[in-house]
Amino acid sequence: MKTWRWPALLAVLTVVGLLSALLGGEGPWRVLSWVTLSVPLAIVLWSLLRSLMTPSVVNRRS
Amino acid sequence: MARARGDIKRLRRWALVHKWTSLACTVFLLLFCITGLPLIFSDELNELLGDQPPYADLPADMPLANLDRIVAAAKERRPDHHVWFVFVDDDEPQVSVGMLPSPTAEPKTASRLRFDSRTGEFRNEIEPAEVRPLTFVDLMLRLHRDLFAELPGELFLGFMGLVFVVATVSGGVLYAPFARRQKFGELRGASRRLWWLDLHNMLGVVTIAWALVVGATGVMNELSRPLFAVWQRTHVQEMLKPYRGQAVPEAASFSSVQAAYDLAANILPGRRPTSVVFPNGRVGSAHHYLIWTKGDAALTARLFTPVLVDVVSGQLTSVVEMPWYLRTLQVSRPLHFGDYGGLPLKIIWALLDLVTIVVLGSGLYLWLSRRRSPFEARLREEAAVQAHST
Repeated sequence: MKTWRWPALLAVLTVVGLLSALLGGEGPWRVLSWVTLSVPLAIVLWSLLRSLMTPSVVNRRS
Repeated sequence: MARARGDIKRLRRWALVHKWTSLACTVFLLLFCITGLPLIFSDELNELLGDQPPYADLPADMPLANLDRIVAAAKERRPDHHVWFVFVDDDEPQVSVGMLPSPTAEPKTASRLRFDSRTGEFRNEIEPAEVRPLTFVDLMLRLHRDLFAELPGELFLGFMGLVFVVATVSGGVLYAPFARRQKFGELRGASRRLWWLDLHNMLGVVTIAWALVVGATGVMNELSRPLFAVWQRTHVQEMLKPYRGQAVPEAASFSSVQAAYDLAANILPGRRPTSVVFPNGRVGSAHHYLIWTKGDAALTARLFTPVLVDVVSGQLTSVVEMPWYLRTLQVSRPLHFGDYGGLPLKIIWALLDLVTIVVLGSGLYLWLSRRRSPFEARLREEAAVQAHST
């Protein structure tokens, strides 16, 4: 269950983002959708940067 | 111990589901993702690549030109054609009149005549899709929607979308057993394959909700033709019972389009008519103007409600209650296209699309570089690598 803690949170944020612009229309709801839907993308960036900064087979220069 | 063995058996089944559903749909999913990328920006691209004459600079509050006059002008330009629909745009000050060579002709034979919605002046004509050279956006759309195979293509790609949904769910089930030994978002670098496995799992799981929504709504969109056909055969036929057996009215006896438009606008406060569909052989009625109206709130603007107006008498026949499956279809459109939250949302959609391409590519790589070992051995090995690297 612990493994799913983060993914579940991201899924909730995604659904909130998808619905806020759809139900709320322009204005703050739109901004909320941009922010919440950007979180998964930010996690991707963070994960990749973290991996590139730790030595491993994929970034070892040979 | 017995329970663990049962778990492994269950997971092995999910792994098989994930493998085969993914293999079945990956090529088509890559096609969806690649062609879908420019389609997210189709409005922008059409504007950029289109050669529309500029609009006259007129005050913003000018009233709508008389639709009867516009229809008469369209008929004058194409006397051999029949009016199919009148569409009042709300993004641009224009009215398009769709015209068919015969009332029952295929939509791809329709010409569209565009008029300025304020002055009623003719602007330009768009040739029928079957003779018009395919634009870049058209090409992407056809590849994305039906592979140039019309209904069979739509149903096939819709089925592939369904297979993708199953692949995504099964991928989600497999996430936990393969990811429980590391921190969230950690990509283990002990081997190239392990790094790609972790990347596949991480990218897949952080975008899983989006992928499921876009996948499921894509399937819905592919079903739009059969769903409208069902509605036509059940709800619409039921409403048209009183007209059964009556002669189909001649175009010369049609009442005013403008009056029908105004009637629809007046009986549904808070809604705006967007198009008037003339009697034709497909959707709607041989005896009515079918007037689509949309609401003025964010959600109701997506929920179109049709109004039937008797084409001869100009009297209201009914406001049509849309069945749940068409309502679902209407909500599925924005959720699939990502066009409902401005340019930033479109950019987010494009980035998530790119992430999906990497999930597909890495999945393919993991399959190609697979080891011919049983599932249990792979799970055990997974644990061993982790123990070794920490």
